[in-house]
Amino acid sequence: MTTAQPDVSKWPFQSVLVANRGEIAVRVLRTVQKLGLKGIVVYHAADRGTAAVKMADQAIEITGPTPVASYLDGAQIIAAAQASGAGAIHPGYGFLSENKGFCAAVEAAGIRFIGPTPEQIDLMGDKVRARNFVEKAGFPVAPSAIEDDDPKTFVERSRKVGAPLLIKPSAGGGGKGMRIVRDLALLEQEIERGRSEGQRYFGDGRLYCERYIENPRHIEVQVLGDGQGSVVHAFERECSVQRRFQKIVEETPSPALDAALREKICETAAGIARSLNYRNAGTVEFIFGQGGEFYFLEMNTRLQVEHPVTEEITGIDLVLQQLRVAAGEKLGYGQADVKSSGHSIEFRIYAEDAARGYTPTTGPILVLHPPQGEGVRWDSGVLQGGEVTSAFDPMIAKLIIRGSDRNDAIARADKALRETVLLGCKTNTAFLRRLLQHPAFVAGDVHTGFLDANPQIAAEPEMPAETLQALLGAAALSTRPMRDVADAVPDMHAAMGGWRN
Amino acid sequence: MHHAFKLGDAEHNLELSRSASAYRLHLGEQVVDVDLKTGADGRAWLTLGERHIEVVIATRGDDVFVHLDGEAYQLRYQHPLDRLAAQAGGSAEDHIRAPMPGSIVSVTVKAGDAVAKGQTLLVMESMKMETTIAAPRDGTVAAVTYEKGQTFDRDALLLSLEPMEKKS
Amino acid sequence: MKRIESKLNTASAAFQANAAHNRKLAEEFKEKQRAVRHDRPQRDIDRLRQQNKLLVRERIKLLLDPGTPFLEFSSLAANEAYDGEVPGAACVTGIGIVSGREVVINAGDASVKGGAWYPLTVKKTVRALDIAIENRLPVVHLCDSAGGFLPLQADLFADKYMAGRIFRNQCMLSKMGIQQVSVVLGHCTAGGAYVPGLSDYNVIVRGTGAIFLAGPPLVKAATGEEVSVDDLGGCDMHTSVSGTADYPASSEEEAIAIARDIVAQFKRPQKAHTEWQPPEEPHYDPSELYGVLPQDIKQGFDMHEIIARIVDGSRFHEYQPNYGKTLICGYAHIWGYKVGILANNGVLFNDSSLKGAHFIELCNQGRTPIVFLQNITGFMVGKEYERRGITKDGAKMIMAVSNSEVPKFTVMCHGSFGAGNYGMSGRAFDSRFTFSWPQSQISVMGAEQAANTLADVKIRQLARTGKKLSQEEIDAIRDPVLGEFKRKQSAYWSTSEIWDDGILDPVDTRNALGISLSAALNTPIGDPRYGVFRM
Repeated sequence: MTTAQPDVSKWPFQSVLVANRGEIAVRVLRTVQKLGLKGIVVYHAADRGTAAVKMADQAIEITGPTPVASYLDGAQIIAAAQASGAGAIHPGYGFLSENKGFCAAVEAAGIRFIGPTPEQIDLMGDKVRARNFVEKAGFPVAPSAIEDDDPKTFVERSRKVGAPLLIKPSAGGGGKGMRIVRDLALLEQEIERGRSEGQRYFGDGRLYCERYIENPRHIEVQVLGDGQGSVVHAFERECSVQRRFQKIVEETPSPALDAALREKICETAAGIARSLNYRNAGTVEFIFGQGGEFYFLEMNTRLQVEHPVTEEITGIDLVLQQLRVAAGEKLGYGQADVKSSGHSIEFRIYAEDAARGYTPTTGPILVLHPPQGEGVRWDSGVLQGGEVTSAFDPMIAKLIIRGSDRNDAIARADKALRETVLLGCKTNTAFLRRLLQHPAFVAGDVHTGFLDANPQIAAEPEMPAETLQALLGAAALSTRPMRDVADAVPDMHAAMGGWRN
Repeated sequence: MHHAFKLGDAEHNLELSRSASAYRLHLGEQVVDVDLKTGADGRAWLTLGERHIEVVIATRGDDVFVHLDGEAYQLRYQHPLDRLAAQAGGSAEDHIRAPMPGSIVSVTVKAGDAVAKGQTLLVMESMKMETTIAAPRDGTVAAVTYEKGQTFDRDALLLSLEPMEKKS
Repeated sequence: MKRIESKLNTASAAFQANAAHNRKLAEEFKEKQRAVRHDRPQRDIDRLRQQNKLLVRERIKLLLDPGTPFLEFSSLAANEAYDGEVPGAACVTGIGIVSGREVVINAGDASVKGGAWYPLTVKKTVRALDIAIENRLPVVHLCDSAGGFLPLQADLFADKYMAGRIFRNQCMLSKMGIQQVSVVLGHCTAGGAYVPGLSDYNVIVRGTGAIFLAGPPLVKAATGEEVSVDDLGGCDMHTSVSGTADYPASSEEEAIAIARDIVAQFKRPQKAHTEWQPPEEPHYDPSELYGVLPQDIKQGFDMHEIIARIVDGSRFHEYQPNYGKTLICGYAHIWGYKVGILANNGVLFNDSSLKGAHFIELCNQGRTPIVFLQNITGFMVGKEYERRGITKDGAKMIMAVSNSEVPKFTVMCHGSFGAGNYGMSGRAFDSRFTFSWPQSQISVMGAEQAANTLADVKIRQLARTGKKLSQEEIDAIRDPVLGEFKRKQSAYWSTSEIWDDGILDPVDTRNALGISLSAALNTPIGDPRYGVFRM
């Protein structure tokens, strides 16, 4: 696997504008600057003084009605790129990274878009089109029946989907109106109920059915293509520990896969990417059932939040590969050159209160001592002295652990979480430590409903009296009014204590 | 016990006094020797009775943040005069604070309106979840602090009611 | 300063017997004190609870800084008066630490007769304010009183040091720049209204506190006007209309918290400079004091052994160790403060009287506070001594004591009889604080002596008319006198009448003196000036 520094002097761009914020902006800038390229970042006033802004060679302020809106303002971002002479734009993840209009506008402005083509974004961005494309290309998709295709045969086609199945309103969203059917004998009456609910909630009674996977696992595969005929995979990641459909912990290799299944899933993903002649980095997501069956869920045509775990076991700098591809280089290596060793786990550090329904929290970052040591990587956009506000989403950092095997990684993770000091804003570090200790997690026995099924992990355990005493003692001695009252007492009276005659 | 700290939902009354060499923590009937020594590198050692515990502490206003044994905690100091004055009025119900950070979706009342217990006062949104804020008691709106679209942090004062007339 | 060498044999039978006897006396004292402090008829406590009031000691606990000492004065005041129905004379006074400052506390005890002012209540209050004046200590008044106890008004109203003296003392404190805070926790009626009225700051509790020169019943009787307590003198009227009260509070806890905050604003006084070194516990165990004190008032003991169990490190620099040995003079430290000590080791002779006068002058020269440890039956009498000028020598000692500028502290350890009391700075001689021990006695002469003297007078009287008395008749004259004397010379009588500032368990003496010394040094020590020493 080549890790040699490319000769960027031959590249068509010498500077990269990062159209993002927080930890991913820092992450991208790190590789950009390591290569000797100029790193430019746009930022909203709310992000003034953050790590990415401090680190960039040039920082350009952008505005908008809300902070988030500014990062969604494609025209402003392109203008900033042009003003700074940036030759390429890296969109990070979220925001405009999967916006085909933005991608097209960037390319139309003569700037390299570090990602796939607008057509690839468009195809994979439409879930139905993507699913159909993948199915036609011969790859496994979850069995389903869409009523609109042929309303007359809908019930029959639904029966063929097999149990358990999920009835969903076509016009629906937010989990409303979905019904699980485990006994096909009840299929027709459940369809009728689903129809009337769809009518009631969304004014539209049309439905589609999909095979329901009980306790599914979320497994995704990193793929890389150079758009010039070469596509490889960089192995899988398991992201089953989730809450409210958001990932909290990701790891690789997946404990659910043996070597054969691993090969099968990864090759399937590579095959899907190959069938697109996919360009740049992407991730193919699968839904994986307890019986070992897996189905295509969707493809994300961008770098993912959890990409570091792949980097840790393969030694590949994915951002560097993205820049190479955007610069027009061929991959220059084949699947056989992509090797993995060891185990890596990533923990998303959220500013939230796990015990109170994961409510987002805010506050100043008064103290930040990130963990350090062998196999510990801390990717973050926040610094001590900064502030966590409700302007952006609550993920403030990622803790990425590498170990020789899964148990080693878990042990290192616990130590790192214990040593992480972040004061001023509540985070989920204590929750993550409780998660690490759960026997099911240690056994690698997780699925996407795991946290909901085990609410005791999120709940705060009862505080021992000794801990309460220590906290109150520390707090009292740190609070001026209390300390002043005690300090005001003269020496002799303090020594006498509560004496009475 | 005059002073208090709020930890989560619980309020803990306590006092601090000086001893010959350090301090004493008074919790109910219990008295524990206590001391806090901060080293040059910012690490602090809390002594509690016979135990020595490494801690990291930061403060802002009335909030004390403590990192202890791998976990972070937040305690909020309540000055005796504030606590005792608040106890008097039932004024906790006069001030309606945000349960979490977010923004205003809609406000259905204005200053001067009479409201009934349970009546919707405003709707807020946080992380794509909407929460309805209702009146904790019958009363009159004194002031509404935020308007549609504005953002706020947890515990921000969203709305206040006129204090209740005390029956003598 | 070298350590006193104890010559006691703590294993001896005599020591053990003394110790058992004195421990028992101390326990009896503690039990009496406990009962006086805490035993109340349940209905009185219930009444206070219904009125939403805290007990006086609960209030004091909220007022004082946690983990700090409280030196209570005259806890057993009035224990021999009013049939014992007015424990503590219905008030609690003492020195405590509030917001880091030494203050005098003057608190009414509404669980005793509604906190009414008996003659001894007034005396105890005046004494507390005198202490505040002499030692320049701020005062916190916790006001809750039913007013003067009318049936005994003749003994509490009209004279110079009666009720009016309380208010006069308040004005003196104010003139001297010493702050006072009043917390109105009940009704302050008539004279009582002047306590908050003359305080620099006052706090009043809504609902239970009131200030008025006459309450609603008296107002109705006087002018026919009908008005409620609150409208006449309640919290809101006085804090927002008349301005008589400064801070409204919704509860007693809040009022006391506000008072603490007010005291926290007081400027701390500069202490008089006196020699001080870091304190050290006595080398000998203070509980051995019980074994040193004899069981009989007439029996002597070596005061060195007492000193050794009170002072720092048991170290003592003795002055004139070979001269006037019946009076021990020397320097020591108590809780670090350097003090001069005069302690009786027998009757006062010419040489001991001269030594005492001289040593008092030395202490004044060195600005050293003086501690008097009394065990004195009097000056030596007899022809030889009169010819040597014992009267003159006693006079010199009394002159030195009276005009001493340094603070004085007196502990009546055993006997305090006759003019010996004067030479050793008895009550009349302005010691800042005077304490007694449970077994101590104070009177013009010993009970036996007095009984014999009086019987003698009677016998001679009757002999002139030719009568002679039988032993029974003599006993009939002697015994009541004896009984009366014994009753009125006990520490309990003395403390009941407030001739002292409280009985102390001997082992508490060190702390009491430490607190007293610290408090006394708030007043500057002036240059010594004496009258004429009759040479």
